Amino acid sequence: MADARTLAGEGWRRALLDPKRFPIVIPVLAVVIALAAGFFAILATGKDPISGYAELALGGFGSRAALGETAIKAGVLLLTGLSVLVAFRAGLFNIGAEGQFIVGAITAAAAGHAFGGLPKIVALPLVLALVMIAGAVWGLLPAWLKVRRGVHEVISTILLNWIATYLVESWLVTGPLAARAVGAEPGTVSIAGTAEVGHGARLPRFVPQSRLDLGIFLALGTAALVWWLLARTAWGLEIRATGASPRAARAAGIPTGRRAFEAMGLAGALAGLSGALLILGTEFRYPGVFRTGYGFDGIAIALVGGLHPAGAAAAAIFFGAVRAGSMRLQLLGIHRSFADILQGLAVLVVAGHFALQALLLRLRGPDRPPAHAVPTAAPNPGGAS
Amino acid sequence: MSALASLGSLLRSVMDFAPPLLLAAQGGVLSERSGVVNIGLEGLMRFGAFFALLGAWATGSAWAGIGCGAAAGAAGALLHGWLSIRWRADQVVSGVALNLLSVGLVTFLLEAAFHTVGTSPAVTPLPPLRVDSIDAVPLLGPIVSGHTALTWAALATPFALHFVLYRTTTGLRIRAAGENPRAVATLGVSVAALRYGCVAGSGVLAGLGGATLSLAVLDHFDNQMPAGQGFLALAAMVFGKWQPLGALGAALFFAGAVALEESLQSSFPQLLDAVPKGFFLALPYMLALLLLAGFVGRAAPPAADGVPYDPEGR
Repeated sequence: MADARTLAGEGWRRALLDPKRFPIVIPVLAVVIALAAGFFAILATGKDPISGYAELALGGFGSRAALGETAIKAGVLLLTGLSVLVAFRAGLFNIGAEGQFIVGAITAAAAGHAFGGLPKIVALPLVLALVMIAGAVWGLLPAWLKVRRGVHEVISTILLNWIATYLVESWLVTGPLAARAVGAEPGTVSIAGTAEVGHGARLPRFVPQSRLDLGIFLALGTAALVWWLLARTAWGLEIRATGASPRAARAAGIPTGRRAFEAMGLAGALAGLSGALLILGTEFRYPGVFRTGYGFDGIAIALVGGLHPAGAAAAAIFFGAVRAGSMRLQLLGIHRSFADILQGLAVLVVAGHFALQALLLRLRGPDRPPAHAVPTAAPNPGGAS
Repeated sequence: MSALASLGSLLRSVMDFAPPLLLAAQGGVLSERSGVVNIGLEGLMRFGAFFALLGAWATGSAWAGIGCGAAAGAAGALLHGWLSIRWRADQVVSGVALNLLSVGLVTFLLEAAFHTVGTSPAVTPLPPLRVDSIDAVPLLGPIVSGHTALTWAALATPFALHFVLYRTTTGLRIRAAGENPRAVATLGVSVAALRYGCVAGSGVLAGLGGATLSLAVLDHFDNQMPAGQGFLALAAMVFGKWQPLGALGAALFFAGAVALEESLQSSFPQLLDAVPKGFFLALPYMLALLLLAGFVGRAAPPAADGVPYDPEGR
């Protein structure tokens, strides 16, 4: 156990890096390392990293409009992050948030067009409910395949992402749901994408000169609800037990299969809601060319957020600001894909956090990560099937 | 156009579409048979496609570019391998990180190198191989003539990998590392070394698959690349039941679905009104899903696939 070296100098450092005691340390380090790497990436292209980061901060937080953009992106990111998080806590790796997001988005576009003429108080809840149902169905498919047919959810959700993408973008958006010009010959497509969402189904905006809408508040409220569900209810305990050790959970009488269904249904509903936020808040239709990736971003939000709803909210606001701010980076000739690099690097550091611990603890002797350091205080669903 | 000639042009399209997918799928088979899940194939293909183009552009030689693409794939894969083998990272998280990173990093580098985020400048691609006497053979000539050496190498790879995995001692050890690594270690063979080798090999294959896209199928890099082909390669690996020849069959089948869709679009546009394009595009993924669900026969991954090997564990 604790040898002299540990007691003398390494104790506090090791404790600080123990995700169970200080879950915030690894994610913060991941972001700092990503920012540092980004600094050198900008330097390597011959630009000025200091004014780069200044522009990034201005574009994320510098004005009312900037804050609005940050909030819009953060809301969308937070919900897909929560989707991945809920599934992860139940021991399932939801790579399918992307597909559930797309299914939610197309449902929002179709239902928003169909019911958009109704008063907002009726239309908005109705559309959001339909969206969550559709997302949940797309999330339940991999759960069913896992529990009943033994298909690993990582593979099935990847496949379902592409099935959703192709069926929506190469069929629904260009076919049955495509917008048609009023009074024109049937079949003539006037605008790429689906018909416009009616005003009743649009998210209300609050601040002049800003696109800030209800989305971020919905997302933050949902995060609080998810935290309460996971941390304060018996159901949440059973979900976490299912994720931590399915065998032990089954032995304790927890219906693990059923909990897996419920977690994936909730995950799908959350990712679907995220898609709805984008359609009902800013796009107002499912566009003809819709490069999302928000579902994959959700994986980053959940992991960099330490798999805690509050952490996910912080990560979503940070990366939302980076995304909004990266538009201003373009002024310096730095492409906005810089935001993606930061995000990918941060996830890479979280994935390799054992290496980080070893580096910071300057482990000598046997080259092994500390035995008590468990990955990010959570189950390991990508591992043993 | 006669039925025979349409079949000929269909087969020719299959030979155009299959190689990138095929190479990446073989990479997946190699990595996962040794016990390391490689969700990062998509990202590795992207690195391969970009660095192959960059190499060819800088040196003026397509073959040097192919080498750069393979090296970039290997480098990315070794990062994934280092995190998953040495540091027992969650292999799915690490693979996802690779995919996320490739999206931003390659766009960023494309912009830095060529001041565009669309398509790179064109370079001289790999030369197509033609033999006049074969060109002259009716039907067969148009199908087999004019492909690059990389296409033929891609078609040979599954047979080579099959031979290595099932007919050599190393292959037996690789498969054992994926099924029961402790048994391999008991024989005094290093599980880590086997897995590093296979992960690096999968990076080379995925990188070559990407290089095929930018230097053989096309003559430039497009920022959309590889547009899901890495994920489709994963599906081909599963559909092929984690076997090289099975993955070959699956990749040819998937390429056939794309080729069929393209040829129908040009020769029978009215059919695409009845069956939307989206269904053709989604078909390979739906079939892989049905297979996995056991409706088209059962497929199971190697027993220790994705499980980090801890020499001191139980």
